[in-house]
Amino acid sequence: MNLKRWTAWTTGLFCSLVSTLALADVLPERGGDNYKDGGSRWFPSYPRDVSLYGERIDWLINITAVFCIILFVIMCIWMVWACLAHNQNHEAEYDHGNSKHSVVMALGISAAIFFVVDGNLFYHSVKDLNEAFWDWEEANSGIKIEINAHQWAWDARYPGPDGKFCVKGDETCDDIVTLNDIRIPMDTPVYFQVASTDVIHSFYLPNFRAKQDATPGMVNHMWIQASSEKFKEQGLTTPQEFEIACAQHCGSHHYKMRGTLTVLSKEDYEAWAGHASQLNSRAYDKEDLDSHWGWSWESI
Amino acid sequence: MDLQPIHSPPTTFIKKYVFSTDHKVIARQFLWAGLLFLAIGGGLGMLIRWAWGFPGEAVPVIGDLILPHSNGVIGPSTYNGIFTSHGLIMIFFAITPMMIGSFGNLCIPLAIGARDMAFPTLNMLSFWTFVIALLCVLASFFVPMGTAAAGWTTYPPLSTQIGTPGLGQTFMVLAIFFTGSATIMGGVNYVTTVMRLRAPGMTYMRMPLTIWGQWLTAILNVLFVPVLAAAAIMLIMDRHFGTEFFIAGANGPGDPILFQHLFWIFGHPEVYILILPAWGFAGDLLSYFSRKPAYWYKGQVWAMCAVTVLSAIVYGHHMFLTGMNPLLGQSFMLLTLIISVPAELLFLNWLHTMWKGSIRLTTPMIFTLGMVFVFGLGGLTGIFLGTISTDIYLHDTMFVVGHFHYTMAAAAFLATMGAIYFWFPKFYGCQMNEAIGKIHAWLSIIFITLLFGGQMVVGFSGQNRRLWNPFEYTFLEHLTELNLLTTYAAFALGISQLLFVWNFMEGVFSKRTCGNNPWEVGTLEWELSSPPPVHNFTTIPTVLRGPHEYANPEVRRTLGRDWISQTEELPSQPAGTGGADSGAAPAGGDSADGAADGDAAASDEPAAEVAGG
Repeated sequence: MNLKRWTAWTTGLFCSLVSTLALADVLPERGGDNYKDGGSRWFPSYPRDVSLYGERIDWLINITAVFCIILFVIMCIWMVWACLAHNQNHEAEYDHGNSKHSVVMALGISAAIFFVVDGNLFYHSVKDLNEAFWDWEEANSGIKIEINAHQWAWDARYPGPDGKFCVKGDETCDDIVTLNDIRIPMDTPVYFQVASTDVIHSFYLPNFRAKQDATPGMVNHMWIQASSEKFKEQGLTTPQEFEIACAQHCGSHHYKMRGTLTVLSKEDYEAWAGHASQLNSRAYDKEDLDSHWGWSWESI
Repeated sequence: MDLQPIHSPPTTFIKKYVFSTDHKVIARQFLWAGLLFLAIGGGLGMLIRWAWGFPGEAVPVIGDLILPHSNGVIGPSTYNGIFTSHGLIMIFFAITPMMIGSFGNLCIPLAIGARDMAFPTLNMLSFWTFVIALLCVLASFFVPMGTAAAGWTTYPPLSTQIGTPGLGQTFMVLAIFFTGSATIMGGVNYVTTVMRLRAPGMTYMRMPLTIWGQWLTAILNVLFVPVLAAAAIMLIMDRHFGTEFFIAGANGPGDPILFQHLFWIFGHPEVYILILPAWGFAGDLLSYFSRKPAYWYKGQVWAMCAVTVLSAIVYGHHMFLTGMNPLLGQSFMLLTLIISVPAELLFLNWLHTMWKGSIRLTTPMIFTLGMVFVFGLGGLTGIFLGTISTDIYLHDTMFVVGHFHYTMAAAAFLATMGAIYFWFPKFYGCQMNEAIGKIHAWLSIIFITLLFGGQMVVGFSGQNRRLWNPFEYTFLEHLTELNLLTTYAAFALGISQLLFVWNFMEGVFSKRTCGNNPWEVGTLEWELSSPPPVHNFTTIPTVLRGPHEYANPEVRRTLGRDWISQTEELPSQPAGTGGADSGAAPAGGDSADGAADGDAAASDEPAAEVAGG
C-alpha cells in the first residue's frame, strides 16, 4: 500500500476517534432515560443508578464501548472485504510488510489507538478515583457504617449517638446493629468499612455502582451517596429499597446472600436511628461475645 | 549431529504406544487426553447453563444417572462443584494439554528440524505425571461431599477446611500440583529443544510463528507454574497439616490475600500461556492460506515477546477490589493498558497479511478467522476490566466471565480446532473431511460468539458471577430470557461438536492417505511423510529462508508455484545471495546467523511495489 493512502487511513482513524471523544464530552454526561431501569429484556443495560457518582462509571464504559465498536466494526469489514476481494481469483501480492513505511504506519496506528482509547480510559479513571470514589475527605463528612460479612448475610453496625463503635468488652453500647438491612439518609455520604469473619465476600451495590471485597483479617473502605436529583429524574420517592448482593463466591448459599439497602429522607433516617439505638442499647448483653464483632474505626 | 543419534524404532506395544519417548506419540497421547477432558469440561459447562436456563428443573436424559440423589436436579452445592471443576478441567486438563502438550510436542521438533525433543524421557514423564493429575481429577468426583467447590481460583479461606471440608477439594488441588509438575517438565523440554536443536540455518527469526508462540509459552510456564505449584502445596498444608498460611482473622494469623498474589502472579501469565500458541497458529495459518508472507514477521515476534514480558507485571488488575494500595493499583492499571499496544500490532499484522492475499477459505483458515474475530471481542472488552473505576462495577460480574471466555476459551478453542484440522496429516496421515469441517467451523464460531456474548451482556447489566439462581435478585429478573437464550447457544455449540467427533474418528481410522504436503506449505514438517517416520529427519535439513515465502515472483518464475520450502534452493539464486531469502532473514544482532538484514529489507521493497502495482 502506498504511503499516501496509509497516511489518509491513519489520520482518518485518529480523527474519528478524537471526534467521537469530543462529541461525547459535549453531549450530556448521562445518557437517555432508557437505561435507567436496566433496559429491556432483549437489550438489557445497567441497573438503575441512584448514586451521586455512578454516572461517571457508566459514561466511561459507554464511551469506551463506542470506541471498541468502531474498532471492531473496522476489523470485521476489513476481514470480510479481504475474503471477498482477495480470493483465489488473483495471485497474492509479495509483501513482507517490513518496509519502513509499513512499520511506521503499523506502529502509528497502534499508538494512535492507545493514546486516544486507553489514554482516555486511564485519564478518566484516575480522575474519577481521585475526585469521587477515593475522596475519603468527602466520605468522612457523612455517616459511618461497619459491614461484617459472613456466610451468608451482612451485619451492619452504626456508631450510635456517641459517634464511637463498640469493641469487644465494652460495658455499654449504643451502636445500631442490623442484619441484611441497611438504611441510609438521602444526599449524605455513607462511608462503609467492610470486613468478614469467615471467607471472602464482596459487598456489591449495583444501583450505586459500588463494590468492595470483604476479606477476613482486613478492613476495606468504600463510600456511596444517594442522590435526590437521580431520584427525582426517575420518579422515585423515599423510602426506596435497593438490593445488596455478594459478588465473590462464598459457598453453597452465595446466591442467597442478599440484603436490602433502604434510602430514607434525612428526617426519617434521624428518627429511625434514634429509635434503633435506644432499642439496641437496652438489648446489649456484655456476655454475648458473638455479637461483639465491631472494631474501632480505621481512618485512612 | 552427535546430539541427535538415530535409535532403532521401538518394537513392543508398551514402548511404542504407552511409555513412548517419541514426541509424535506423546503429542497424540496429549491430544486424546485433552479431547476427552474437553468433552467432560464442556458437559459440565452445559450443566451450568442448564442451571441458569432452567433453575431447579431436572437435567434431561442423563440427570438421573449423574445426580441420582436429587433425581437429576442440580442443587446449589452440586452447582458449585460443577462450575469449579468446569473451570479447572477446561484450563488445566483440556486446553493446556491440547494446545501446548499436543501441538508443542508435535510441531517443535518437526518444524525446527530436530529428531526428537531434547529430553525424550522427561517428555514421557511429563505425560504420565499429567495422567496422575487426571486420575486425581476423576477421583475427586467420587469422594463424599463431591469435587472441589471453591471456584477455579480456589481462594482461601473458602478452599480451606473452613469452606470446603470434602476430600474432593484436596484431590483437585493435588491434581493442579501434578499437572503443574508435568507442565514444568514439558516447559523445560520445549525451551531447551528450541534453543539447542534447531537445524543449521534455522535462526530464531526463521522459526514459524507457531514455534515462537510455543517457545514463549514454555518460558512463561517454566517461570510461573512453580509459583502455582508452591501455592497448591501451601494450600494442602493449610487443609491437612495445621498450617495457617492463608487463614486470617479470628481463625488464624495468615493472610488470604497472599494466596491471591501467588495465584495471580501465575494466573495472569497463564492467560497468555493459553493465548500465545493461538497467536502463533494465527500468524502462520493466515499467511499460509492467504498465500502471502506473514506481514511484518519480526513485528509479530517482537509483539509476542513484549506481551510475554508485560504479562508478568500486570497481574494486580485481578485484585483491584481487594483493598490494595491505590498507587499500586494505578501502576497495574497503566501496565495493563500498555498491553493493548502489542496486541493492536498483532491484529494489524494479521489483517494486513490477509489484505491483497489470495485467500483459501479452508477449514483451518475459517477457524483462524473465527479466532481473530472472537479474540477481537475478548481483547477489546479487556480494557474495561483493566481500569479501576470501570472495574468497580464490572468486577466479578458475568462481563468478566464473557471476556475471559472469549479470550481463553473461544479463541483458544477455535485456534486449537484449526490446528487439529491443519496438522491432522502429521498426526494420522490423512486430511479430515473438509465439507464437514467447514460446517463444524461455522457452527462453532456462531454459537460460541452467541454463548459468550450473552454472558457478557448480562454481566454488563450487573449479573454477578457464580449464582446458582441469579433470579433471586429482583434487579436481575428481567435477564431470564437472555440467560435462556444463552443456554440454547451453549447446547447448540455442544451438539455441533458431534460433527467434529465423527470427522476426527473417521480420519483416525480411515485408510485414506495424503501426500507430504497437502496444504502446499513451506515449513519443515511438510517435507516429511504424513505421518512422519520415527526419527523425523534421516539427514538433518539445512534451512535457507524464513517460513512464509509465498507469492515470491522469482519462485513463481523458476518453479512455477507460489510457495517454496524453507530448505529448497532456487535454481537461479543459490543459497546465501539474498533474493528469496530477504523477507524473513534474521535480524542483525539477535541471532547466530549473520545474514545482512539491511540489504535484504531494502531489496524487498521494490519487489513489493512492483507486485502491488
